[in-house]
Amino acid sequence: MVSTTVVGNYPRIGESSQEQRLRRAIGRFDEGAITAGDLKETERSVVRDVIEEQTAAGIALPTDGQITWYDSQSHFARHLDGVEVNGLVRYFDTNTYYRQPVVRGEVRWREPATVDDWRFASSVARTPVKAVVTGPYTLASLAKTDGGSRRELVREFATAVAQEVRALRGAGATHIQIDEPAITRAPKEVDLLREGLDIVAGEKGGAWLCLFTYFGDVAGILGKLARPPIDNLGLDLVQGPKNLKALAKGGVDVPLTLGVVDARNTRRDDPAALAKSLLGLKGSVALEDAYVSPSNGLEFLPRGKAREKLRFVAETAGLLEAGL
Amino acid sequence: MSLLTTTVGSFPKPPYLTKARAQLARGELTDDQLRPLEERATKEWIAFQEDLGIDILVDGEQYRGDMATYFAENLDGCEVSGLVRSYGNRYYKKPVVVGELARPGAITVDWWRWTRGLTEKPLKGMLTGPYTMMDWSFDEHYGSREELALAFAKVLHQEARDLERAGAKVIQVDEPALSARTDELDLVVKALGVVTRGLSAKTITHTCYGNYDRVFPYFNRLPVDQIDLEMSNSGLDLLDRFRREPLKKEIAFGVIDVHTHVVETEAQVRERIERALETFEPAQLYIDPDCGLKTRTVEEAQAKLRVMVAATRATKDARGLE
Repeated sequence: MVSTTVVGNYPRIGESSQEQRLRRAIGRFDEGAITAGDLKETERSVVRDVIEEQTAAGIALPTDGQITWYDSQSHFARHLDGVEVNGLVRYFDTNTYYRQPVVRGEVRWREPATVDDWRFASSVARTPVKAVVTGPYTLASLAKTDGGSRRELVREFATAVAQEVRALRGAGATHIQIDEPAITRAPKEVDLLREGLDIVAGEKGGAWLCLFTYFGDVAGILGKLARPPIDNLGLDLVQGPKNLKALAKGGVDVPLTLGVVDARNTRRDDPAALAKSLLGLKGSVALEDAYVSPSNGLEFLPRGKAREKLRFVAETAGLLEAGL
Repeated sequence: MSLLTTTVGSFPKPPYLTKARAQLARGELTDDQLRPLEERATKEWIAFQEDLGIDILVDGEQYRGDMATYFAENLDGCEVSGLVRSYGNRYYKKPVVVGELARPGAITVDWWRWTRGLTEKPLKGMLTGPYTMMDWSFDEHYGSREELALAFAKVLHQEARDLERAGAKVIQVDEPALSARTDELDLVVKALGVVTRGLSAKTITHTCYGNYDRVFPYFNRLPVDQIDLEMSNSGLDLLDRFRREPLKKEIAFGVIDVHTHVVETEAQVRERIERALETFEPAQLYIDPDCGLKTRTVEEAQAKLRVMVAATRATKDARGLE
């Protein structure tokens, strides 16, 4: 049966005063007016809302929206040894910025970065909650280094990410996603990505492991990405239109997450047209085992538009299922 | 003339103006009530720049919110989105293009002309560039990044023409998104060329916080007279490259990091200027901050600019430059 999921992040504030409470709380925390505990309470109330919004819209496999993450790189770097966090750098082709990790020594996992948040989100959700971790290839690609072996760096990050995966699994996570957007910028490095991914997958145990690439296409390397030990491959079919054509030729050995709803533009998607385009893959792709999702995290949209996109995901999945 | 000082565009808004803008957003104040406060803040910034001895002035954009949505609010075919996150706890609104772009009237000229009445010094006309407007907008109408960038370029050219007619001798077209997609640099050149075509004013483009490695070969191709670069935040890494591949136009060289509360020392800034002079001719080199200063407090911004001007003067004195 066709299912639904999201890619990871979600707008943490909206237009109403109530939806802006996290922004206010962070401001007040920075001023010293509230405690870390007060801030945590607000964050958790927002996570509760975000889970509820996803579930209400028909998302079967939600995330915690990455509500507590400063960004996808420094959120992990802060919990690693051998890495410091530096100044702002533009995040891919988005008008958002991340604090750049700077590698100062051997990269080692010190403590979990995502487990507490996942545990809380899971406790308030009526469905499984997907844990999301930035992949070792992307962590290594976006970090600043003073040279040294790139392969070794990917392997060090991979060992650290593997320990994060083990910790998540230990906490009870059954669905874990590894994000590797950087591979869309350097598909020739797919073997390096696979080497890191295999290290991470060594700790997946019985968990379902998804590899998600976004912000571009990976059409030329689909065969190398879409194979065990991962259980699912997530693809951006909006910024990566060639992915769709490559999928039509078949050859993927794992089920897919089809990122078909445009998460970078406020324009209304047409679920009927999207479902029709996906049905064109019938015979080449196991659509009955697929998830439908936005093309990447929804944080690049205003909250109201993100809610709308969730509905488009659910509608597209319903129409796809009906067409099978 | 050499080592002329200038700034990138925006200055922080004083607390009375920030408060008034919040009141306006809540409907507690009208545009007519806000305008005198915007004028007061603009006067204060012009007086500050004149007193300090900055050579080429800006109006400080006290009447603008975000650099892209300010234009979106004043164009037909454009709306403004809800809030989206930039980084940390910072959010902004984005233009939403919902129809054919058109300029119902001049956007920046009224403020430029009003501010011109406050000073005899050169005053920059300030525009947000077509590529950046496109890249930072949600496009619900054109469906093509190139078409949208060129549509913005067309209306921005009209605006540049109007600034020139009003007397602007220097027009800056900001392109902070220039390095967002390095496979689109030809489009940046094309769209910017539409804006600057036929202008007699000196033209400048400012960019910042990107991967300059891929952009570098395009610096000489950008159809402007001067490029304005953030240099301090990137650790002056570009200077070696400029030595190997000389810039054939003027450069405004950022010597002040605008993203830190810490005020640089005069010695630090002098060193940056001296480093720049190892590569660029004094007449080719302008001195300014890395970027707009609006994210700093008024006090921080003023302290940083005082250091910038003092360090420039000290360098000129030491080298006997005029």
